[in-house]
Amino acid sequence: MVIRIAAVGDVHLDEDVVGRFRPALEELPECADVLLLAGDLTRHGTEAEARCVATEFGGLAVPVVTVLGNHDHQCDQVPQVVKVLEDAGITVLEGNGVVLDCAGGRLGIAGVKGFGGGFAGRCASDFGEPEMKAFVRTTTDSADRLGAALRSLDCDMLVALTHYSPVPDTLAGEPLEIYPFLGSYQLGQAIDSAPTALAVHGHAHAGTERGTTPGGVRVRNVAHPVIKQAYSVFHVGDQLDTDQVSPIGQSGSQRSWS
Amino acid sequence: MTHHRDIDTGPPDEYVEAEIQRLLVEDPAVAEQGITVIRRERALVLYGEVESPHRREEILRLVSERFPDVPVTSDIGVIRAQAPTEIEQLP
Ligand SMILES: [Fe+2]
Ligand SMILES: [Fe+2]
Repeated sequence: MVIRIAAVGDVHLDEDVVGRFRPALEELPECADVLLLAGDLTRHGTEAEARCVATEFGGLAVPVVTVLGNHDHQCDQVPQVVKVLEDAGITVLEGNGVVLDCAGGRLGIAGVKGFGGGFAGRCASDFGEPEMKAFVRTTTDSADRLGAALRSLDCDMLVALTHYSPVPDTLAGEPLEIYPFLGSYQLGQAIDSAPTALAVHGHAHAGTERGTTPGGVRVRNVAHPVIKQAYSVFHVGDQLDTDQVSPIGQSGSQRSWS
Repeated sequence: MTHHRDIDTGPPDEYVEAEIQRLLVEDPAVAEQGITVIRRERALVLYGEVESPHRREEILRLVSERFPDVPVTSDIGVIRAQAPTEIEQLP
């Protein structure tokens, strides 16, 4: 069983970019069952920019599933942005999931934007000023919703889609000082709470492609400036252990991340 | 806005670096978080990757407009958007 996943993040569309991705996107049906977008679809999160995303990524021959990124929140027009994307047939995830019937099996995708906070031993704590607590609780809440969404999906293969990074590995190349703004270990913990086969994220424009969660789940940073191509393609599951891809309801809740 | 030392008195201030970095993120005409500002002797070098040639021009225009006395050179690339030539197998 192989499921073919194409993914890119941080395309930051506006009028000046429309059309640049389209020739490559037209080739998608030949190499992928689905296209995942890892957030930062726009520059400022305006409805007009969302229409550019709809033009560029709408009406493709493969399903398109996305999460939003921090840039897509900039102008406080999230509901309008989501509506434009959904009207173009793009599935927008935030704390929920979707199961797609692919030739190689049922692909479950759970997504959240995620948030910062940092990584084990060097992270923010839920302590002190209300602003600090609100920051950390935003992350914890996001990770909790990702974990619950992952564990709820009944599918043959499970993928986690976030904007912020679940691991520090894929941030290599970014200044260490800004890691806490690029991701959070709680997202990794959520991914490891289910039998996830692959985790895809963006946001770290100067990071690197490959990493692994402490639980052994492969992580890929697909930010456009990192992959330097229209999208990356992963063929997942060629010789996957059948235990690892059995229905989530049976194995997901038993597997611990610790 | 911060007042700048004359460029002849030494390399630009660290604050100029910080200000340019924030300008590039917070100015709606640019909104780029991925541009690095490096201080070299007597000049600032901007590098990073953007999605269009237009955005690269906007960055340079904005920086030279706000910091007319700071010599700036740029090494900003436009990210390729071609279809991949290889796939990654994840067994
Ligand atoms: Fe981004
Ligand atoms: Fe981002």
